[in-house]
Amino acid sequence: MMREHGTLIVWPSLLAAGLLAAACTDQPNVNMAPKRPSFWFTPPPAQCVTGKWTGGGRIDPTGDRAASNYDNVDEPAGGQPAAPNPPPYMTGKVTFGFNVFLGQDGNGNCIVTKGEIEVNGHALKLAWHVSIHDGVDAYDGRPVYANEFSDGHRGGVCVVVGIPDMTARVNPGQGREGVQFEVCDNDRGGRQNTRSDAMRWRTAGHGDTGMTYLTGGNIVEHGS
Amino acid sequence: MNGKTMHWVNRLAVLGLVVGLVAGLAAAGSAQSVGGQAYSTYVNTPLGSSSQSPLAVLPAVSGTDGAEADAEGSALNVAGALSSDFLNSVTSGEIGSAEAGAQSTSSAASVNILNGLITADEVVANVMSSAGQSGAFSNADGSTFTNLTVAGVPVTSGDAAVAPNTQQSLPGVGYVVLNEQIPTGDGVTSSGLTVNMIHVYLQSMTGGTVDPLTGQVIGGIPTTTGEIIVGSATSSVGP
Repeated sequence: MMREHGTLIVWPSLLAAGLLAAACTDQPNVNMAPKRPSFWFTPPPAQCVTGKWTGGGRIDPTGDRAASNYDNVDEPAGGQPAAPNPPPYMTGKVTFGFNVFLGQDGNGNCIVTKGEIEVNGHALKLAWHVSIHDGVDAYDGRPVYANEFSDGHRGGVCVVVGIPDMTARVNPGQGREGVQFEVCDNDRGGRQNTRSDAMRWRTAGHGDTGMTYLTGGNIVEHGS
Repeated sequence: MNGKTMHWVNRLAVLGLVVGLVAGLAAAGSAQSVGGQAYSTYVNTPLGSSSQSPLAVLPAVSGTDGAEADAEGSALNVAGALSSDFLNSVTSGEIGSAEAGAQSTSSAASVNILNGLITADEVVANVMSSAGQSGAFSNADGSTFTNLTVAGVPVTSGDAAVAPNTQQSLPGVGYVVLNEQIPTGDGVTSSGLTVNMIHVYLQSMTGGTVDPLTGQVIGGIPTTTGEIIVGSATSSVGP
């Protein structure tokens, strides 16, 4: 009887240990959705797992694909069009910070359930802000679709927010503009290296930075 | 099930528990707290004052969560002390199962301090802190000055960094610290960094005596009477 009782304790313990180990491991939340055509005309993406992304810092896009900070590997990873799309290249210092939570709508589409994105284009002296609450863009009332996928770096993963686009407030002047935001976390779970992560900012009226490695800061995909 | 088998099952169970707990604790080795703050300008002088502006402070983050805060300002003018425009501050932070971190950035353009004593086309402060299984660290990558001049002398041409904690005397005024960096934490479980890109310390001499022949103050102790900060960013992670 004792042995049987012992066995009853043993197996749940093993299961619990296994579950604990699995739960505490930083598993990638990657959607291997097929590549898609030009983003501005792409329908909402397929399903994605829930996920949380946070980060910020600075990029210095030059519009030169041969520049050492141009992330040619990640730019096409999600089926995104080659930059500049739309032209021209947005260059100069660009600083930013963001926090987005992913989820699914009733049809299983990948959406942003809540988020804040701030991007400052220093050469243009423009500040864009995107605010998403309860799955809706605060500036146009539409859902904000997203996509998450593996990128060209080992273990790397990217998220595109605003498919086919979303609306940002633009200051000065409280204007509105269609935008899209993409970031890649290429050092997940390891020692964080500022210059391995990347960011891309696309605007309907002010161009496209192209996928650019960070000059400073960090991008973190931190699970569901 | 015989006793020998039970013996191995028990050992396996204990091993499983230990492995599971170690894996869990290791993965949970990331920081449990993060902090961040950024502001573009701060003025506290006899000429006038302005609080930290525009100020972005990271909200509390708990569990496996994240947050972002930002603030924008069009222009600031404290007559005789500081004028600047395109002021922006952003901070964000996250706690994950394997890593945690915070990052902050602030900027100011068309900077003019003390009627042209210090000028810059733009100043960007950028910091990040991160903690994970490989330890905790912070850096100020991306913190630069664009065409910085101090007392009429060019310090940077174009967009460039300046060595951390570069101090220059400002005769009759005090001194300035460029790229002032203030680290915190033990580098193992905690780390933090504050960067003040331009930190002017206004000083006057107190307690000295005036030489009747030269009119100069002899002796005395320099006392800080005010300060001006342009481009400040802070990030931290901790247990």
